Amino acid sequence: MTFDVIVVGAGHAGVEAAHAAARMGCHVGLCTLSTDTVAHMPCNPAIGGTAKGHLVREIDALGGLMGRAIDATGIQFKLLNRSRGPAVWSPRAQADKKRYADWVRTALGQEPNIAWILGRAGRILATAGQIRGLALETGERLLCSSLIVTTGTFLNGLIHVGREQRSAGRVEEPPSIDLAESIKALGFQVGRLKTGTPPRLDRRSIDFEGQVEAGVFVEERGDSEPTPFSYQTRRRLENRISCWLLHTNDSVRELVRNNIDESPLFNGQIKGIGPRYCPSLEDKIMRFPDRDRHQIYLEPETIGGDEIYVNGFSMSLPREVQEKLVHALPGLEAARLIRPGYAIEYDFVQPTELTPTLESRRVKGLFLAGQINGTSGYEEAAAQGLIAGINAARTARRAESFVLGRQDAYIGVLVDDLVTRGCLEPYRMFTSRAEHRLLLRIDNADLRLTPRGREVGLVGDEHWDLFERRRRRYEHNTCVLNQTLIRLDSGQRQTASQLLRQPDIRLNALVNDRKVVLDVDPELPDFDLATLETTIKYAGYLEQESSRAERARRSDRRRIAPQFPFEQVPGLSREVVQRLQQIQPGTLGQAARIPGMTPAAIAVLGVFLNRLGQPATRT
Amino acid sequence: MFSSDDTIVAIATPSGRGGIGVVRISGPNATAIAVQVLTRRQALAPREATLTRIRADGGSSRRPSDHAIVTWFPAPHSYTGEHVVEISTHGSPVVLRGLLGSLVAAGARLARPGEFTFRAFLNSRIDLAQAEAVADLIDAATPLQAQMAFDQLEGTLSARIEALDRKLLDLIARLEASLDFPEEGFHFIEPHEVATRLGDVIDELNAVLSHEARGRLIREGATVVIAGRVNAGKSSLFNALIGHERAIVTDVPGTTRDFLTETIDLDGLAVTLVDTAGARETKDEVEREGVARAIRARDAADLLLVVIDSAEELTEDDHRLIDSDEGHARLVVASKCDREPKWERTEAIRVSTTRGEGLDDLRCAMLRSLTGQEGLRDPAAISNVRHVMLLKEARAALTHARTAINDAGAPEEFVLADLHRARTSFGEVVGVGSSEETLDYIFRHFCIGK
Repeated sequence: MTFDVIVVGAGHAGVEAAHAAARMGCHVGLCTLSTDTVAHMPCNPAIGGTAKGHLVREIDALGGLMGRAIDATGIQFKLLNRSRGPAVWSPRAQADKKRYADWVRTALGQEPNIAWILGRAGRILATAGQIRGLALETGERLLCSSLIVTTGTFLNGLIHVGREQRSAGRVEEPPSIDLAESIKALGFQVGRLKTGTPPRLDRRSIDFEGQVEAGVFVEERGDSEPTPFSYQTRRRLENRISCWLLHTNDSVRELVRNNIDESPLFNGQIKGIGPRYCPSLEDKIMRFPDRDRHQIYLEPETIGGDEIYVNGFSMSLPREVQEKLVHALPGLEAARLIRPGYAIEYDFVQPTELTPTLESRRVKGLFLAGQINGTSGYEEAAAQGLIAGINAARTARRAESFVLGRQDAYIGVLVDDLVTRGCLEPYRMFTSRAEHRLLLRIDNADLRLTPRGREVGLVGDEHWDLFERRRRRYEHNTCVLNQTLIRLDSGQRQTASQLLRQPDIRLNALVNDRKVVLDVDPELPDFDLATLETTIKYAGYLEQESSRAERARRSDRRRIAPQFPFEQVPGLSREVVQRLQQIQPGTLGQAARIPGMTPAAIAVLGVFLNRLGQPATRT
Repeated sequence: MFSSDDTIVAIATPSGRGGIGVVRISGPNATAIAVQVLTRRQALAPREATLTRIRADGGSSRRPSDHAIVTWFPAPHSYTGEHVVEISTHGSPVVLRGLLGSLVAAGARLARPGEFTFRAFLNSRIDLAQAEAVADLIDAATPLQAQMAFDQLEGTLSARIEALDRKLLDLIARLEASLDFPEEGFHFIEPHEVATRLGDVIDELNAVLSHEARGRLIREGATVVIAGRVNAGKSSLFNALIGHERAIVTDVPGTTRDFLTETIDLDGLAVTLVDTAGARETKDEVEREGVARAIRARDAADLLLVVIDSAEELTEDDHRLIDSDEGHARLVVASKCDREPKWERTEAIRVSTTRGEGLDDLRCAMLRSLTGQEGLRDPAAISNVRHVMLLKEARAALTHARTAINDAGAPEEFVLADLHRARTSFGEVVGVGSSEETLDYIFRHFCIGK
């Protein structure tokens, strides 16, 4: 069998990659062990959160799946940071993880260009630095122009529960050993990371209402007016479940301390590096001894199902200690443990091996996306899947590469951070990573990216039509606000735009009082209003930011030819040359962001780019 | 980042007092910028030393102030390989700084340390072996590091800015954490605390900047001008302060016709004492010129010692000198206090040069006046023009942030844009931070995560 693109793994990266490549007209093979675990959520049953919500909006704006999938199957929605500024509003939703997977599977099923390959990937076939295809463990050989590997935690996965260890990709799923060997054999620089998940409890063993009444749990219901992730969602979203908040206590602290030697994280059993922003219970208690309590959320994983996710309680202590710990939590004295939490170590490929299209420099046509690149999170995975899918399709078609800049999108920040800085711990997106954050808001993700998605062929006619109408409304409304004069109490008249620059004047109020008449989307008025209000109210800041972004864009336009002879640039120290050779930056801007570069080194490089930078001969 | 396509300017001669000072301009617009500060209208001829007058008033007025010799070295045959204009003029720091200000106002950028050598290297005017300084510069993580080795004073400044930068980082990290981790169940910082902490940083930055002048004094020395009526005892005081006879002291009024200068060490501070002719109406042309010069000398003074004979009634001239609201710091010295006093003023320092009385008091007062309350033992002072400029930029950004919080109620991410701008300026003085640094700080100090 021959494909344009083969995708290994059907997690959040794999499905976006397969979907994008198929939509762009490629014949795609999607290789997975079982269709039951497509778009699976092995950890937190939720999508979005700070900065992650931005990524989902951007995926949606470009024509990806994730935003529509979560809107269709979300069971509780919340806009984080609602009380703060517009650049940090971030949607988050609890997912019904079963229905989410069903939705994605159905969406993929509707793409005639996608063929399922059910089986275990064994070996990457490459000759002379060019991808040829994929061999399954059965020995079957599949040929392709581009191969996208999205294996998550499966590469040499090793699960730890107390002193007990077993090889696994996820709980009860076998790891990928052969594929891991194949990747190492190709010469990739491989590291080891760790992540973890909390225990699951049986809903039927917990008296939620009683504990709320007793003041032990706090019920959380979600926003009264949920904000959708997708610009294409045309219906009102509903919250269908509650979550519950409780806190750890002294007994939990004592239990962890007394059993810390049993924790593979603290007894030396685990070598991989875990994420600091998502610490295990052991870490929280041992590293922050002064905190007397920590938040725990109880979150249903599906509607009608019995599994409760214990958010904030991830650990790798022995099962019997986990049971004691759960029972030590207030209100959970009688809770039944369905599955213990665990830690998992897995191999990842240092993403500095990749170019900004997520193609490996070592093997042309081989793309890596998702957790294999050292990231954590479904959203980070999906975003990479999308970029890898688009570029794999373009490579198969010999078309130009598709790269988003740090000034364009959080996705651009994500990919640039990965390929320029590499990973020392599992990488999660934060708004503070985006230096042009003020420009990268959820309210303008479509204005920033939908034209780009249309260009590559991912945005369908219906989506494009919605977008065009929204853009026209935005332009029209901007004119209206600049032209409408409003009489003040003082008798003076000011345009609505001038008025809006005052801190206490809100666009909502002007519209409600009929001071201005705008053309807003009756179904999603907030999108329209947020963009208008922000661009007018913070025009000063945004202009300043835009000019900073433009300056950055200029140095990102100064290309460095592949195989540029960095060693011939006089004056660069050996360390700097080594770093440059290792990262192979594609632009002067990227070179400047490599850790350890000095401004002077970059200035020298900039000058010699012109002098030595005649396009190097391709080998 | 270093850029190499704009025009830079710096004082090329060592700081401190020399007879001649050179200001060097390099870059594509070197000549266009230079002619804006010259009175000469004609274009400069290549490689030809031209005598002209310059405007060295920091760009504030168009009044020509000094003679200078100007030479244009066209690219590529110049020190840096770019168009270079050198202006040689009086070595006075006042003149040189003023000239620098005029050139910046005309469109030049103050050069970073080593930037001329750096450009020379870029344009292959020198090889790397000759430009070891450049190699150090390329390796140095911060511009200041390159300078610190031979600049102890700036090192102290760097420590102080670093401490300020840490405070700002803490504030930024707390604000960033509250944006990126809104669901932790506690505040990383209380809203009212933000403005308070910001205020603290601004106050401290103000304190550092207020020592700007002092830093310059430390590096370049101070000028103290002795003024007063004829025969008030100025020359006696001058001799007493320098510790030997230099001025001719007689009872004949108007003996000091020109002015005398001598440099003394005032507790570590180099002070140039200037003894001027006494102010009085005179027909003697030489003496009249001396008086005129005395008045000009006062303009350049960091401190004026107004000497008044305590044994004579105060005249109108004396009152004028004491109460003048000219911008100078001044000390009133009641001289000849071994005689019967005819007037008393609380601020006057009573001195008798014949008995050696009151001289220590005077020295202390001079030092206090020149260096501020703390004396010279706390030398966290900025004397580098570029650092002053950067710190002022930081202050402007911080002040903008404070206004945004207090008056406009701007959301945190906008305030943070200002704070990050301020940190970028700090970074140019002490080293560059990154978003990774902020996250590190957050993870180290707060228990984050679910």
